[in-house]
Amino acid sequence: MKCALCGYEFDSTALSCHSSCPLAAGCNIVCCPNCGYQTVDEKRSGSVNLLLKLKAALSKTQTVEG
Amino acid sequence: MSCRSAALELSPGTRPIVLIGNPNVGKSAVFSALTGRHVDISNYPGTTVELTRGRFRLNGHEVDLIDTPGIQSLLARSDDERVARDVLLDETPWAVLQVADSKNLRRALQLTFQLAEHELPFVLALNMTDEASAAGIDVDARRLAQILGSEVVPTTATRGEGVPALQQRLLNPRPISYRIRYDGTVEQAVADIVALLPEEWHGKRALALALLSGDGEAYGRRQVGSDARAAIEAIVAETAARYDQPLGYVITQQRMRCADCVAAEVSRVPEVRHISFRERLGYLMVDPLWGWPFLLVVLAGLYYVVGVFGAGTMVDWMESVLFGEWINPAVSRLVAFLPWELLRDFLVGEYGLVTMALTYGIAIVLPIVFTFFVAFSVLEDSGYLPRLAVMSNRAFQAMGLNGKAVLPMVLGLGCDTMATLTTRILETRKERVQVTLLLVLGVPCSAQLGVLMGMAAILTGRAIAVWLGVVLATLFAVGWLAARLLPGKSSDFILELPPVRVPQLGNIVVKTLARIEWYMKEVLPLFALGSTILFVLDRTGALVALQSLLAPLVTGFLGLPEETAGVFLIGFLRRDFGAAGLFDMARTGMLSANQLVISLVVITLFVPCIANLLMVIREHGRRTALAVIGTVFPLAFGIGGLLNLIFRLLGISF
Repeated sequence: MKCALCGYEFDSTALSCHSSCPLAAGCNIVCCPNCGYQTVDEKRSGSVNLLLKLKAALSKTQTVEG
Repeated sequence: MSCRSAALELSPGTRPIVLIGNPNVGKSAVFSALTGRHVDISNYPGTTVELTRGRFRLNGHEVDLIDTPGIQSLLARSDDERVARDVLLDETPWAVLQVADSKNLRRALQLTFQLAEHELPFVLALNMTDEASAAGIDVDARRLAQILGSEVVPTTATRGEGVPALQQRLLNPRPISYRIRYDGTVEQAVADIVALLPEEWHGKRALALALLSGDGEAYGRRQVGSDARAAIEAIVAETAARYDQPLGYVITQQRMRCADCVAAEVSRVPEVRHISFRERLGYLMVDPLWGWPFLLVVLAGLYYVVGVFGAGTMVDWMESVLFGEWINPAVSRLVAFLPWELLRDFLVGEYGLVTMALTYGIAIVLPIVFTFFVAFSVLEDSGYLPRLAVMSNRAFQAMGLNGKAVLPMVLGLGCDTMATLTTRILETRKERVQVTLLLVLGVPCSAQLGVLMGMAAILTGRAIAVWLGVVLATLFAVGWLAARLLPGKSSDFILELPPVRVPQLGNIVVKTLARIEWYMKEVLPLFALGSTILFVLDRTGALVALQSLLAPLVTGFLGLPEETAGVFLIGFLRRDFGAAGLFDMARTGMLSANQLVISLVVITLFVPCIANLLMVIREHGRRTALAVIGTVFPLAFGIGGLLNLIFRLLGISF
């Protein structure tokens, strides 16, 4: 993913903040390893995944109807 | 140089080729074009940084290709940069293949010159030539090869263009002959350090420059005697003392000037280029003069969206209609069937789970943070945030704050807990503790900023000015103090400014949704914990005792109602929970405007949240955490009390 602050591209699956946070380790917020900016990792968000699945299902239905 | 020539006689099959480059220059495209799709991904030993390895045939030999993370520099300021540097040192590569963005040659050359200092066989892929041509930029690869004394190949890796030529050049890589001549003091220091290093080591000049730049880990796995190490440290300290600015900054500046000269000589940029409206807007956002009015417009927009709409319209509806008319009465009717009064009170009493934790968390804070997250996502997606960081950096520089200390403080506006973690980038323990203290004291995180902005909407203009003035004055005093405690001028603050663009609705929805999910999972349980603590204190009579105990401070010194003690108590868990309590008290007429300003100032200067406190303990130990708390709370209450005294003495009321 790409940091919204510094533009750095990184792999969010291996970030130290995920295991370091005392309260919410493994949450859907990640910190850029280059500048530390806190941004969202959409892939880790259950609600975003649900929304994307719904969107995909809707567009599939529309395609079938069309 | 003789050992380099000997190394080149080996066949490429025995040693890997290392791919290196800045972020977003098409390195992965070059990797795929060379190796195909068969890759092996593994962590670099002892780190969480992933390295991608692949193989391809070069003149009949199977060659390993190692793709390193995108980096800005070979100084080990991050894990990625450390790994990239260590790969160069440990792998003894057949060739270093740097991938550069042809549109941004200046940035690429800064890395090229560092690689030149490593004296490794080298090939430069001038990638993205199609995009450079489209932008009217023409780079003279032949002239650049002459200057560098090395191989330079124009490529458009996504289309495979230039890849056969690249493979051909990789058969005969040669070290860059171009060397930067730094000023006399630096060159003398480099020569002195090189003389102390073992004769057989490669890249001694690169190591010397890295050590002078403050990279204490530049030795990697190489061992040097304690006498030589002490002598080198003395040279570094003595050289650094000759400059007003950090030595790393001085060296980087000289390297950047060389990159500018070479880039200007080999690049042709169109003289007259149409500047689009978005580009003009981008320049305006970071303009030293016009950037500030633009920031004011952004803040005014935030105030109307978060303060007026979120904290006003949405909270009114959620609290009075959704919770007031539907949820709370329905839950009250439901729990009326419960035979235990204690449980009924626990759910719907004064400090009930539903009537307090859920009402505060969902009816008051959620609409405010929702509108704030939407506004924040718009700023993020538009490309304004990096520009805001540039403007903030200027403001912090005006205070004289060290650039390295600025970064965690700016990041604290996102999450103080994670910003505390990033204080690791600071060199000494003293600096880390000082910046942690400043973070805890003066920087509200995004959720708290949202709630505090929402609170501002119920204040008069004058009251907002006093609250903001006191908080900003505290921040400035903190910054000024930090500047005295952390001497030295600004170090590099490298940001890639993305183009300004119209925010995409899909991105805003996804980012807001993910942030709301984080809020619900992390923050709401803390609200429930807070209301449970208050409930237990209330039922055991400890709350009244606590209010009596705190009465001299809360009612006497701060001039607030005794109920505010409970709000400050839950403010220990999260600052925004406390702010929501104050918001509720103000709306029900329990706080006058003066009292609201005083209590807001106190809660803004509180410890951000329990997670932040745990992080401070983890990073710095219990004693330091205790010292931080022992400074922050007296200061927060002290400033609140001082404000109360000033209001009373001068007869100020809002």
